[in-house]
Amino acid sequence: MSEALVAVETAGTDTSVPAVSGARQFWRRLRAQRAALVAAVVVALLVLVALAAPLLTALEGQDPTTYHPSLIDSARGGVPIGSLGGIGADHWLGVEPQTGRDMFARLVYGARVSLGVSLGATLAQVVIGVAMGVAAGLGNRWVDLVLSRITDIFISMPLMIMSLALLAIVPSGFPRPVLVALIISLVSGWSTTAKMVRAQTLALKNLDYVSASRLSGWSTWRTAVRELLPGLAAPVITYAALLVPANISAEAALSFLGVGVKPPTPSWGQMLTSADVWYQAAPQYLLLPALALFLTVFAMTVLGDGVRVALDPRAASRLRIGTGRKREARAGTAVPKPGPAATEATQDATQDVVPDATQDATQDLVPDAVPDTASDAVPGAASKKEERA
Amino acid sequence: MNGFTGFVLRRLIGALVTLFVLSVIIYVVFYVTPGNVAQITCGPRCSPAQVHQVAQQLHLDDPLYVRYWHFLQGLLAGQDFSTGTSVEHCPAPCLGQSYQSDRQVTDIILTKLPVSLSLVLGAMVIWLLLGVGTGVLSAWRRGRLSERVLTAVTLAGVATPVFVIGLILMIVVCGELQLLPFPQYVNFTDDPEQWAWNLLLPWLSLALIEAANFARLTRASMLETLAEDHIRTFRAYGVSERAVIARHALRGATASVIALNAVTFGSAVGGAVLTETLFGLPGIGQELVHAVKVVDLPVVVGMVLVTGFFVVLANAVADVLYAVADRRVVLA
Amino acid sequence: MRQPSVIARRVAAASVSLVVAAGAAACGPEDSDAKGSGGDSAPHKGGTLTVLNSEPQTDFDPARLYTSGGGNVPSLVFRTLTTRNRENGAAGAEVVPDLATDTGRANKDATVWTYTLKKGLTYEDGTPITSADVKYGIERSFAPELSGGAPYLRDWLVGAADYQGPYKDKKGLSAIETPDARTIVFHLNKPEGEFPYLATQTQFTPVPKSKDTGTKYESHPISSGPYKVVKNENDGEHVVLERNTHWSPATDAERKAYPDTIDVRSGLDSSVINQRLSASQGADAAAVTTDTNLGPAELAKVTGDKELAARVGTGRFGYTNYIAFNPTVKPFDNPKVRQAISYAIDRSSVVNAAGGSALAEPATTFLPNQKSFGYTPYDPFPAGKSGNPAKAEELLKQAGFKNGLTITLTHSNDKNFETSPEIATALQDALKKAGITVKLQGLEDNDYRDKIHSVKTEPGFFLAHWGADWPSGGPFLAPIFDGRQIVKDGANFNTGLLNDKSVNGEIDAINKLTDLDAAAKRWGALDQKIGEKALVVPLFHPVYKRLVGSDVKNVVISDWTGVLDISQVSVK
Repeated sequence: MSEALVAVETAGTDTSVPAVSGARQFWRRLRAQRAALVAAVVVALLVLVALAAPLLTALEGQDPTTYHPSLIDSARGGVPIGSLGGIGADHWLGVEPQTGRDMFARLVYGARVSLGVSLGATLAQVVIGVAMGVAAGLGNRWVDLVLSRITDIFISMPLMIMSLALLAIVPSGFPRPVLVALIISLVSGWSTTAKMVRAQTLALKNLDYVSASRLSGWSTWRTAVRELLPGLAAPVITYAALLVPANISAEAALSFLGVGVKPPTPSWGQMLTSADVWYQAAPQYLLLPALALFLTVFAMTVLGDGVRVALDPRAASRLRIGTGRKREARAGTAVPKPGPAATEATQDATQDVVPDATQDATQDLVPDAVPDTASDAVPGAASKKEERA
Repeated sequence: MNGFTGFVLRRLIGALVTLFVLSVIIYVVFYVTPGNVAQITCGPRCSPAQVHQVAQQLHLDDPLYVRYWHFLQGLLAGQDFSTGTSVEHCPAPCLGQSYQSDRQVTDIILTKLPVSLSLVLGAMVIWLLLGVGTGVLSAWRRGRLSERVLTAVTLAGVATPVFVIGLILMIVVCGELQLLPFPQYVNFTDDPEQWAWNLLLPWLSLALIEAANFARLTRASMLETLAEDHIRTFRAYGVSERAVIARHALRGATASVIALNAVTFGSAVGGAVLTETLFGLPGIGQELVHAVKVVDLPVVVGMVLVTGFFVVLANAVADVLYAVADRRVVLA
Repeated sequence: MRQPSVIARRVAAASVSLVVAAGAAACGPEDSDAKGSGGDSAPHKGGTLTVLNSEPQTDFDPARLYTSGGGNVPSLVFRTLTTRNRENGAAGAEVVPDLATDTGRANKDATVWTYTLKKGLTYEDGTPITSADVKYGIERSFAPELSGGAPYLRDWLVGAADYQGPYKDKKGLSAIETPDARTIVFHLNKPEGEFPYLATQTQFTPVPKSKDTGTKYESHPISSGPYKVVKNENDGEHVVLERNTHWSPATDAERKAYPDTIDVRSGLDSSVINQRLSASQGADAAAVTTDTNLGPAELAKVTGDKELAARVGTGRFGYTNYIAFNPTVKPFDNPKVRQAISYAIDRSSVVNAAGGSALAEPATTFLPNQKSFGYTPYDPFPAGKSGNPAKAEELLKQAGFKNGLTITLTHSNDKNFETSPEIATALQDALKKAGITVKLQGLEDNDYRDKIHSVKTEPGFFLAHWGADWPSGGPFLAPIFDGRQIVKDGANFNTGLLNDKSVNGEIDAINKLTDLDAAAKRWGALDQKIGEKALVVPLFHPVYKRLVGSDVKNVVISDWTGVLDISQVSVK
């Protein structure tokens, strides 16, 4: 796959700051961004709603699978009786056309599947991607070649087609949401993660402390776990935040093609798929899952940006349109593009820039190269910048 | 340049290996996938004897490796097919013949590809305008209301599946306002104007989905550039913000945008399944889904190779353009 | 039934393409029947009729098409020995002569059928149509290269079982004789009083041997009907038919052929087709569809709009959706269990899942609720509108399931009407009331079809459907309940694995009848007898509602196809 794409896709996700350095600072920086904070609250609420679905529906006195034939007009295709799709005290968000199932219950249970599938898929993508990326980065030339080639093959596979084929092969007894999550993660997403992690690994490998641990006779495995993974955490977490919305959309697309999560289990994608034709006759049927999906993707994206900034406040500060990266790119071992600032908040960091840091790409990855900002990386070090941001 | 030639050569070999392995994977996956191909081809009420005849006709009883070998032979040396009354030659590179329609796969691809390319090329113009435009505006007016609104709009495009956006657009624009005809593919060579009018909505729907990525990237790259020292210097010298944005920040984002564009383009050629299905555009994606459902292996393999080729090609192009564009940025 | 795979997403819309494959059918305005056939003003001749379809007109070869009554668009190009009567309602379920002078003359036991061609019949190039061409057309339908048609010719003609078509076997079929250029004689291996119905299928279309191009014939089949193919792009995605000047209306009492041009566009999304027909802009005003029904959502919108409602045509095609039991699988070997489930069925919720009372009618009989099938109303296990859980529980107790019952319902994951997850889910909800816990086993469509049609893998309890090859009890009951049609090593449709001597005997006896009305009555009686065995639970018969463009006149919907007959339509 294109090294350029890795750079592009992961724009702003890389950071040279080992994440172990400052969980506290991370939170402080995240809190400093109002938009990200609101987004985080929204995401937390969505997850809470999904987890508490049985409680919420019990509160309403409904469940997502019971049919209410008396609430729909069978002669008119099963459109809900009453205004706004039958919204009332019994059914807070009305009922579903054709079945009369409770919309609120389906929506909150749908959150379980949609969020579960997308988060599960993201987790799988990250695990596979990191494993493949680190292995390719640390392994010898042949390991790297084979793993990179495998990654390329997966990138060239059309997601939809492979999903259609794979879903037909797996026995029907296999839990469907898990299967959908697995297939989404297997066919997409992990490959970009792997490419990014590989490039990061290659860069980190040359860092003094990693090289030192390798030289001092640590096994590759130990090196990976003890020294590399912490350094990878920040870019991976940031990239994962971008994968979640993409996975939610993938779930919806699979539902559209008829291979998503199976009824009676509700999912937002599935609801949207059956609802789009109802746009004129029962608009709320379409609008509710569409709004839920929008809210989630929006919140996730804003949160993702916030996380990126919080993890790497120096993103904007690093001037690295230098020759080093270009040389690397041509050699086919590009280091990901430097992280752009995601919000204005980090603009202030610019003054910390040390022009010399652009001389060589790998130098940027040495925390010491940027003395001032590197202090962020030191646990417990007070940071004036956060207060300013 | 030695480095460049080496790069191209490596990518070429890599691409061939990738496509080769891809074709093997497809053969294996579709070999184990359920669905009795001979029965599907023959019809559900064919007798066992008839099904057997059809299986022989299509060489479905041969072992997997023999079938794959025939596929490779056809690819390199061409193949002959019987129409019943005569023999038809399929010249190399022959991707075989559809089990269902008896058409040569290369013919099918040649009729579908222009449709997919039309869709993606047009959509590309829109997603670039919309995405980069939104990105620029939001970098420029960062933090203000107009930025927030724009970002929300592009994100709405990402968050709403194309089958919802497209259908609503069609109902409103074509059905209620009657501003455009309901999309129906017209060949560019037949009538360029009708081609464009008919594709406008599909372009818009597809572009809305991709635009947000471009907006995010443009904005991020521009902010990065704007934070650089020399920009600060320009500002200090009194160069207007507008000029800074236009001359420097935007140029800084070009490399990344070009790279993302090449890759998005490559994967959309075969990947715009939902858009093609909804708008009834007879492109690669729609055909692929159909072929998968009827287990039409030659068509699936042929099309996956073509779409895979576009992905591989696009990635290579992205790398080259990225390198070239990046240098210009540096030189500037 | 030939079932082209459908990328089906709209619950109701896809159903017909499954039934009358190759776009055999369409339909139109209820009230325009009067307008059209009333004859106040003569229908307008000329213009272009646009057909907006979801499924491409693939396999446009008379040998490969699997149609009921010769199909809709195909019937514009292919004339057959007999054809369906192009009339509204029940009259439209009758078989009438087409190329032949009558519907066929049988010998005493209906094993030999003789037809005589009308005089003055020619192809689109002016050459005469001969009985040898009809014979050749049938022979080539046996070629494995041109597979796809119905199984009856192979089953019925003497010595045809292993025939491989004229390409491999130059001798031809001895069961078909052509003593002269206008006479053709068929020798059957058993009495078949319904042979005239079979002779409506496209395999009975003449194909001139000198023009046969094998698998390439479909791109330009030689027309014997009122239209000829002038364009066939991308395997039937865009087909344009124009008037065949060598067609003589004097020899064709059935096809009206008012428009000059028929423009068939396919590959469209079903919701888009309905949007276009309701908007009726430009060329769409003179448009119909031959494969897309109104779905429930669209129906909800249309019924609120008088102008649109007036443009909806309603029809019924002989079709039944049902639950099939495999009595060799426990606990369905126990008739009491099967009866209990029959009692517990909530047909109103199934009907809702299928699109509501306007798009589906609850079924208690296996035969469709139409006269030509010999429909005899019966309800051996009355479940009322929404099930009789008390009676079901009682039967389950008798069967030894005191604490309820847990069973698995197999269905297809494809979102098409009959076997969709939606129907399965509705059943799951309804059976809960009778203490029956239903687990759903959704299979990918190809997997589902392989499994339910194989004796070895057939599940115990699954969704199924059956449609009429022609409007009679014969092709409806025999493939499903005739013990001799159990196929051990291939596609089996006798899902109940019923092999009952008295049933087999009655099927044979009825097949001897050439009086089709008398036969119909006995099919009805046989249906009731089989129904009492509780091997299936009939669920519903679909109702087809379709929009036509605002300029479309002369809409005729027969009980044979249930949808608008494209050969009768005129456009303004």
